[in-house]
Formats: sequence, structure tokens, C-alpha cells
Amino acid sequence: MTEVAVLGVGMHPFGKFADRSVTDLCRSAVLAALADAGISWREVEAVAAASSRFSGGKGWGLNGNDVVEDLGSTGVPVYNLSAGCAAGGNAFHIGYTLVASGMHDVVLVVGGEKMPKGFIQTSGVEEATDPEFLRQRCIGVSGPAFWGMLCRRRMEDYGTTEEHLAMIAVKAHANSVHNPNARFRKPFTLEEVLQSPMVCFPLRLFEICPVSDGAAAAVICSARFARRKTTKPVWVAGSAVATARFDDGMTRHLAAVSPPGKTMHSEAKLAVETAFERAGLGPRDLSLVELQDNTVYYELAFPEEWGLCAEGEAERLVEQGETGPTGRLPINPSGGFQSFGEATTAMGVFQVAELTWQLRGDAGARQVPNARVGLGQTIGLGGNATAVMLKT
Amino acid sequence: MTQRIPVIEGLFAELPEGPRLLGSRCAHCATPYFPRSPVCHHPDCDAGRIENRMEDVAFGPSGVLYSHAVQNYPPPPPAKFDEPYQPYAVGMIDLAEGLRVLGRIATDDFSKLQGGMPVELIVDRLYRDGDGNDVVTWQFRPAEAAGHRNQGRRKP
Ligand SMILES: [Zn+2]
Repeated sequence: MTEVAVLGVGMHPFGKFADRSVTDLCRSAVLAALADAGISWREVEAVAAASSRFSGGKGWGLNGNDVVEDLGSTGVPVYNLSAGCAAGGNAFHIGYTLVASGMHDVVLVVGGEKMPKGFIQTSGVEEATDPEFLRQRCIGVSGPAFWGMLCRRRMEDYGTTEEHLAMIAVKAHANSVHNPNARFRKPFTLEEVLQSPMVCFPLRLFEICPVSDGAAAAVICSARFARRKTTKPVWVAGSAVATARFDDGMTRHLAAVSPPGKTMHSEAKLAVETAFERAGLGPRDLSLVELQDNTVYYELAFPEEWGLCAEGEAERLVEQGETGPTGRLPINPSGGFQSFGEATTAMGVFQVAELTWQLRGDAGARQVPNARVGLGQTIGLGGNATAVMLKT
Repeated sequence: MTQRIPVIEGLFAELPEGPRLLGSRCAHCATPYFPRSPVCHHPDCDAGRIENRMEDVAFGPSGVLYSHAVQNYPPPPPAKFDEPYQPYAVGMIDLAEGLRVLGRIATDDFSKLQGGMPVELIVDRLYRDGDGNDVVTWQFRPAEAAGHRNQGRRKP
């Protein structure tokens, strides 16, 4: 395995763009990443792209082919990766392995999305064999209700308060003020969050991420190529993909098999632990984390499940501001999904771009001081998860 | 006349002994499944994978609430509900048979819901259809509210 560097990253700002296609968004992100890397489109040897369910891709998730046709058909191999909301992370991992294996010197990773309005809808499949259909028709349990159930249990187990949840949203938006790519850049007060409408008790509107349009891209390359282009590359320390384990406690169909005391997000835990192992690094080495905060609850649950802090400690870290950019465990200094909104399949690449800027010291007023090692993580439908560790 | 129509066939039944969820159990490793599964998915169950001897089992009615949330806003299709929309509670329920099942919680007093509380399976209306029939589904209600004096779970 050869060392792999992130040579350039780019992002199209997140928001709602009625007059721009997903191809437009991806082109912006890719051109920015190519310019950042200091290379031309002709130098890209392969493309790993996230497959979207919502936009482009000729209805088959062929979003990488759209990008290649748009930028100029050079005949490069294209890998379209589908993994629900983990697709961007999945595409990054496959791009990474293409370089690490020695197959290619320069690979483009891209994820872009134009999302329909409202919370993410079900697939539209109306078959009694489809778990999502059964959950919605027989019970009527939305995505936010799942997060609500997980969060409510945590409140009972650890004494998490409504204020703790709101503090995380306040922190996210305080960070987003300094991020020109974020969609929501207005600071929120604790009161504003606590007065936002209840979506699924105990979670409120400002504690759940909306959906957005957006795109991100990364140029990754071999160490040999990187040294020709830059004196300060950002390195991929470890990358991993995992799926959920059979003994996971989350009800992913209508039921789960359930001896007590198991993880509810086994795929994310497995991906992160594998990335740590491959990087030869541990929780203590982390300068910052960009994790998938579809809801504020995950900023409490994930750090504990991955061993970044002790069980039941996450609320104390939040209270003491330790998850802010200058704290002991900075989480989502970008502003996170809370501030960007989720452009589902773009998010894994979005995280790589944010981590890269942080590790270069280019993150401006949201900069984590002396950032050396960063972790990114996604989780998606089907029990898919990814983790990537970058280092200076 | 109002009829009771199951929202989906084959998921639950109203048996003489009471409402039950219709599932399966692997004859080799005893892993329970809901809904019914034609095969065993346990990664360590080699015999189950080859022979697939699955037995039909009726689960319920007793369980313990793991956690709940309130569906404060009307969920998008294919969910169905009576108008005007009334928020309802949903929960994960740990059944005595070792399954964690999703279901509605039939109560108007959400503040009484607490992890660890005993609940019991019922079959009740999900919505009334255009022909005036009650479309029913499996739900859970707090066991105390159910008035099960014989189970010794009532608070003094
Ligand atoms: Zn078995």
C-alpha cells in the first residue's frame, strides 16, 4: 500500500438552488478542487463518485458519468458508489484504495446532491417486503422519530436535558457564522432553539438537520505525485467502510434481535475503530472530528460509542464547551449538518474538504488551533458507514 | 357495518388467547424474527443457512418499553392516519421472547411513558378507511392502564 495524499479540495456552497442543476454544483466543486490541487482535468486518471437517489445520474445513480461527460469525456474509469447517506464516504474510500493499491496516481472523488423539500422521504416502494414501507404504513414512524427514541433513552440513562440538546445546536450555529460555505450562518440563542417547534419529542426543529443542495470534491494522489505538487500535503492516515452487525440493537426492520447493552450504530463504531487501527492512531491523537450530526443527539452518542470520551461524559464536555473549536474534543467546527443541511451523498466528501482546510490551517475564524489529525464519519441507509482519518 | 381490516396481512393475529405478532424462530439457533423470515440470518448459524428450518411463532403479549418518541408532525406517505391529525407516541418494545419491536404506543398521556415500564400488545385502529372500516395495526399500551389486576403490576 502506497501513501495517499489529499492534494486539493473544493466545495459548492450549500443551500437551495432552484436555478442550478446537480451537474452545475458538481462542476463548481470539481473545478475548485482541481485548481486547489494545481492540476488539470486531463491529469485525473479515475473518478469515484457518490450515487444519488434524488438527482442526476440518469436515474441509475451514474453521477460520476455525468461529471465526466460535463468536464470532458477522457475515457477514464468511473466508479459510482451507492451507500445511502454514506455514499460520499464510500466513494472517498474506493478512490483511496485505487491510489493506495498503486493502480492510479491521481483520482477525483466527488459527491453532489439536489434534495427534494422537507425531511427525507421514503423510497415510494409500496410492497409488504419493504421494511421502510411497513414501518411507515403500519406504524408511521419517521426518521426524526427514530432519533427521538434514541435521544429519549439517553435522557433517561444519563440525565441529558433539553438544554444540553439546545447547547449543541447553539455551538453548531456559532461555528457556521465563520463558514462561507454553510447554508445557515446566523447564530442562535439557547432560548431560540428551545422555543423552536417540537418535531418528534424530545427533538426540536433546530436540533435536526434540514436537507440542502450542495457538492464537494477532492483530488487524491500518490505520495510520489503529491511531492511534485506541494511541500505540505495532507495525508490519509486511515480509511474504512463497514456495515451493521447482526447483533446491533437498532430496529432496522420492524424488529431487532435484542440482548441488552449493545451498540445501536454498530456500522459506525466498526468503521471508526477500523480507521483508527489502520492509521495506528487512537482517540487521544484527534485534533477534531467531523461527524454525521443529522441530529444533535449524535454529538452525544457517537463520541462515547467510539471511545473518544467516557460513557455519560458527553454532556459534561458540551456544558464545558470542550466540543467547541478551541476545546478538548472539537466536534464539527464546520457547523456540521445542522448548519449546512444534508446534501446526502455529498457529505462524506464535504467532511474531507473541511478536515483538509483545518489541517492546513486554512479554516479562518473556525480554525482548531494546531490541528494535526482529523476524523470524518458518515452513516447511511442499509447499515452503511465510513470513517476517514487525515493527518498533516 | 364497520369491519376490522388488518393494515397488512400476515403480521399479526387476534387469537382466542389475545393479540399476537406473527414471527418465526430458527430451529437450529433459536433466533426470533418479526415479521416471519423464511431463512435464518444469524451469521454463526451455518445449519440454519443450509437447512432453513424455521418455525412459526406467535410473539407477545408482554413487553417492556425501551424508549419512545412522539410523532408531533404528520408523517409523509405511505403513513396513514385519521383527520384531524393527532400526535401519537411510537416506541421500541423489548418483548419477553428476545425481540425489540417497533410499534405505536396507545396512550394520550405521553408524560407517563418511561423506559422499563411494562407494556402489552393490543390490536387497535390505525385509521378509518373510505368505506367506514377500521384499518387496524399492532400497538402497545402501558400494562397498568390496561387494568391487568391479575398480573401484580398495578401500583398500590
Ligand atoms: Zn439460526
